[in-house]
Amino acid sequence: MDDTLVQLFAEVLEVNPEELNDNSSPESVKQWDSLAAMKLVSAIEDKYNVRLSTKDIMKMSTIGRARKTLQSKKVAV
Amino acid sequence: MIVSEPKAVWRQYVAAQKKRETADFDMRVVIAGSMTVEPLEPFLGAHLVSKKFKPHVTIGPFNQLRQICEDHRAVLGDDFHVIALLWRLEDLFPDMLARCLSSPETVADLLTEVKLFAQSLRKLRGSFGGTLIVSTPPYPSTPDYELLDIGQASAGMTVFNSVSQLWTQEITRLERVRLFDLQALLLNVGYKQAHDSRKWLLYRQPYSESFWHDIGQMIGRMIAAEKVSPKKCVVLDLDNTLWGGIVGEDGLDGIELGDDFPGKAYRDFQRHLLYLKSKGVLLAVATKNNPEDAYEVFDKHDAMILTRKDIAAFEIHWESKVESIKRVAKKLNIGLDSLVFVDDNPKEIGEVTERLPQVFCVIVPEELAHLPGLLAQTDYFDIVEITDEDRRRTEMMAADNLRQQTQETMSEEEFRKSLNLKINVFAAQKQHLARMTQLINKTNQFTMTTIRRTQDDIEALANSKDTLVLGMDIKDKYGDYGLVGVAILRKENKSCLIDTLLMSCRVLGRGAEHTLIAKLAEAARALGCFEMRGRYIATAKNAMVKDLYKQFNFTYSPPSDEWVLSLSEAPKTPEHIEAALHLSDGAPSPCSSSETPLSIAT
Repeated sequence: MDDTLVQLFAEVLEVNPEELNDNSSPESVKQWDSLAAMKLVSAIEDKYNVRLSTKDIMKMSTIGRARKTLQSKKVAV
Repeated sequence: MIVSEPKAVWRQYVAAQKKRETADFDMRVVIAGSMTVEPLEPFLGAHLVSKKFKPHVTIGPFNQLRQICEDHRAVLGDDFHVIALLWRLEDLFPDMLARCLSSPETVADLLTEVKLFAQSLRKLRGSFGGTLIVSTPPYPSTPDYELLDIGQASAGMTVFNSVSQLWTQEITRLERVRLFDLQALLLNVGYKQAHDSRKWLLYRQPYSESFWHDIGQMIGRMIAAEKVSPKKCVVLDLDNTLWGGIVGEDGLDGIELGDDFPGKAYRDFQRHLLYLKSKGVLLAVATKNNPEDAYEVFDKHDAMILTRKDIAAFEIHWESKVESIKRVAKKLNIGLDSLVFVDDNPKEIGEVTERLPQVFCVIVPEELAHLPGLLAQTDYFDIVEITDEDRRRTEMMAADNLRQQTQETMSEEEFRKSLNLKINVFAAQKQHLARMTQLINKTNQFTMTTIRRTQDDIEALANSKDTLVLGMDIKDKYGDYGLVGVAILRKENKSCLIDTLLMSCRVLGRGAEHTLIAKLAEAARALGCFEMRGRYIATAKNAMVKDLYKQFNFTYSPPSDEWVLSLSEAPKTPEHIEAALHLSDGAPSPCSSSETPLSIAT
């Protein structure tokens, strides 16, 4: 799979990318705790060179919603 | 120096470690904070990896510093080499901190609390045997502590200054607690740059990624400095390095050195070099010049910061820099790998890099504004504790030169006698530990086993019943060499194992090694032993002591790979040396008659 966003989530959450999809959320992935959420923010900001607002961060409750947020910032994911 | 992509480096390392069947770590570090400190892990880890450690980094529980101080084993588990604690006033004392602004008389209460916290660290220091690193509190990040109070001095800064002064005082008073100056780092980076208020509000994590990077690197440097030897000498080119221009062409008045740019850049660089010298780093000069031109600048230019006396070795001639650097190493009796070479000429740097790869080369930057800080930003001279021996090093080298000159005028035997050597071998006391740690971790040539240890390890050995940690200091009529030898003896039944035996090379060849062995035998006897045993563990650099035990009549025993000497066969101190052995704090133990003249008490 060539989805860089899923790859990034998999790397930070330390899970197999096959286990993740756009519906994955803290409820469905047990590794996705608040520490992981913090690391995800740093990883996304590093990788896509964006800055997320607290509103953006609060909205990212699934991988799909993270994708939408990034797309709204003109990041191709 | 800066680890590229530290997060990637760390991820790869952790993955590789996970694949191993048994864990293979030589540096277990636990970090705990009054705030979320998880982002530190990859940065600290990657820095330690770059310094050739095999680190394991654990993050302790959030905001439980008091509990850790009370009982670190219960909170963190066991088996760490390093505990590092980061804390902030606004996390530990939020209400008091706020109150200090409205009622300044309550600052005293805050100070009392801070002092209590320092005292609980004393408890942790007592129960934890490894390296303990504690931060200074950074300036509070709460909005009431605004830095820019219009029209008056910041009230917050007044409170903060008294707290941080007290904290530094208290921690300095605790022995063997390493202070990590988080506030200084915050200043260095900039208060605004360092903070990330989003992450603070969301995750109780106050800092930006780049600031965590800096914290990781600093703590990594502190940890590495405990084990990695700092460089001992800077070898400096002159033209366009210590001053601008070429003295041989531009003349004394034509070179750039003074209070205006570009002369000021060179001057400030010299100031930093002088500061390094005060930390014990030797300075040497290697330049292609006519000696009279070069010396004239040192002697006559009124803007020179460095004087001739500050330079431990001059190589001024037209031969290659490679040759000069080799001669400096030889003159100062230090290894090529403890030299840093600074030059403005890429060709010279290239040649030295190619022919002497052990030497660390630094080129004068194109942007002269970076010259004064050129060496400050490296970790070459990270020294944990500066000892008296460090501060006096250049002066001791000068005494050495005097000795050499005298030596040339008389026979070897006459010379030895004329020195009036006085050698003291003594059981380590607290005040010796810093220097001993340094010797144990720096000595590469005259060392039988090259076992490296931290100051805490050494203190533990000094306090253990069956182990003797011995130091040796040497004086002669030209001066004091200071503490230049270390031995660690361990009693095993009636046999005494020489775990560590090392000496600084500067004192060799005048009977010091002979005296040390004789005194070790006496110490072993005092321990109730009848023999001494020791090993020679070969490294790339210690071939000079390969036959040391043989030379003093130890017998080699192949099955144990040990050299053994019955104490009845032990050598005596040479006659020209006055030697003493002090095993307890008080009087020297009785010496054999050959060395101490028997004085008749009256």
